[in-house]
Amino acid sequence: MNQFNVWRTVFIVGAALGFGLCVILLTSQEPGVAVHAFFVGPFSNTYFFGNLLASAIPLVLTGVAACVSFSASVFNLGLEGQVYLGSFLGVFLAWRFETFPPIVLYPFVFSIVFCCSGLLAALSGYLKIKRNVNTLISSLLISYIAIYLVDALIETVFIDPNAGMAATPYFSDRFLFAKLLPPSDLHAGLFLALIFTFSLYLVMKKSVFGFEIALTGKNPTFARYTGISVSKILMLSMFLSGGFAGMAGMIDIFGIHGRMIRGFSNGYGWNGIAVALIARNQPLWAIPSALFFAYLENAANVGALLSDITPEIARTIQATIFFTVTAETLFSFVRKKKGGEAWTPSSTASSR
Amino acid sequence: MMTPILFAALGGLFTHLSGLLNIGLEGMMLLSAFFSIYAADLTHNLLIGFLAGIGISVLLALLMGVLSLNLRANIFVVGLGVNLFANGFTVMLASLFFDSKGTIFFQNLPRLAYLEIPFIHQIPYLGSVLSGYRLLDYLAIGAVFLCAFILYKTPYGYHLRAVGKDSKAAQNAGISVYRHRMRALVLSGVFSGLGGCALSLPLQTFVGGMTNGRGWIALVAVILGRGNPIGVFYASLIFGSASALANWLQASVSMSPKLLMALPFLITLLFLVVKKNKLEEGVGR
Repeated sequence: MNQFNVWRTVFIVGAALGFGLCVILLTSQEPGVAVHAFFVGPFSNTYFFGNLLASAIPLVLTGVAACVSFSASVFNLGLEGQVYLGSFLGVFLAWRFETFPPIVLYPFVFSIVFCCSGLLAALSGYLKIKRNVNTLISSLLISYIAIYLVDALIETVFIDPNAGMAATPYFSDRFLFAKLLPPSDLHAGLFLALIFTFSLYLVMKKSVFGFEIALTGKNPTFARYTGISVSKILMLSMFLSGGFAGMAGMIDIFGIHGRMIRGFSNGYGWNGIAVALIARNQPLWAIPSALFFAYLENAANVGALLSDITPEIARTIQATIFFTVTAETLFSFVRKKKGGEAWTPSSTASSR
Repeated sequence: MMTPILFAALGGLFTHLSGLLNIGLEGMMLLSAFFSIYAADLTHNLLIGFLAGIGISVLLALLMGVLSLNLRANIFVVGLGVNLFANGFTVMLASLFFDSKGTIFFQNLPRLAYLEIPFIHQIPYLGSVLSGYRLLDYLAIGAVFLCAFILYKTPYGYHLRAVGKDSKAAQNAGISVYRHRMRALVLSGVFSGLGGCALSLPLQTFVGGMTNGRGWIALVAVILGRGNPIGVFYASLIFGSASALANWLQASVSMSPKLLMALPFLITLLFLVVKKNKLEEGVGR
């Protein structure tokens, strides 16, 4: 990130927090308590802080997932469905192979989930290549189909009648990740998320494949003339993107829930897009960016617990980030040269 | 069941033809659904409810326009923001005003009357199909023809489609791309607003997230309708009956309605795959 982008990011974060402050002041009966709970609360004890970190884990991974596809200038809008399918598959396999020791089960389940969610996303890439179907639209459609199908399975075949909500029974708790900061939700999946993010960073920045993705993203025509198979890059970047999204859901399930709950993913996919946009498609920057998103979510929850604000204000604050993050000319007064380095997905992804 | 989808789809049609894909339809509908019923409840006047719903939805459309056209933000991302915002904002206001996050029932609201068309409703069979709907439903069907007229018989419609087909050529021909896209967004706000009203006012209730994917289905209906009001009407009719069928199945058979809800998306996907697409040069080899 160059200095200009850093200032831009600072502005976006500041604007979001400022908006949050306004909303709290306008809606709360006891603004002092509410503001304190919102801004300081999440850091005040290990329970809140652990939960903050725990809720950042899936966001880091969906953020990274979005980074991969955006870098290749493909708009993977189906992250939500890929998260959902991955989680369900993880739960299903954990039941099916109940007798496996965890150490055998993890790599086995992880690779299957990665492949299946990846293939779900790669299907959009395939349709683009073979039938020229807009990736953005097809990934969205496929994602909705996947969500409804998984919902149908949860509600009928796999429902736990004693759960009192649409959820599957728990799988064996031997498979749950170790908790790091009890009583909070923070679990060992944190390390997995960091490892995945860092290895993707290496792939994107240090390998030939990563260079090919970046080149294809910047200028597909030029990439083709240099002998890169644009179709292959398109498919692979979608596959990786879907795979990471599937991981995000699965790690969340294995770390916290221990079963599949309808609608548990609660916008991980959508927020992952915003995380990637704030991080300007840099995998490592997805970590602070996801932490910020998780902070907003948890601050609102803590505020609701200790004061009288509603947790939903997190969504309105996150929405302001969506509004400002891609606005190119919002900061043109800072930048002397206009249109110097155009941000790719907005300019090229729309044509794909 | 069809009316809210049809209204929103007509809104999406204008932005689609102007070359923008407005994925904020869902959010606009949701916000309008809340504000229309809230205003109607406050004033005991349905007309004011309608105006409030349309107004807030247009306001959101203007915000989208300023962000994406003036500040050159990515319209998909802004649309996602609109949906997220509407989702959080309505629940926030509901818990602020009514202290409830669940279903809010407005008892004092005037009812929307059902209309019987004279003579036609007496025709056996056909009468019960064609007559006995709410004014809004007839309005929606009237709007289809109005849109068809505007898009295909007026200079504005020609210009709008020109902007969508090739914005550079349109710009060179002296048509303001900016102005037409902004107008298209405002129109999509008006229609999504009507769609939101058609959702909450007849039911006299508001539930958080009550649009339940109808905005997305409307978007899908636009694609399936091939950018043509009559096509959009048929697509909305199919999707409306599918969701009515889903409700009926939920009540009568123990089959999961979720399978049927996936159907609009599946149909559209298949349509896009089967339809003749020009392959981009080089890709696919």
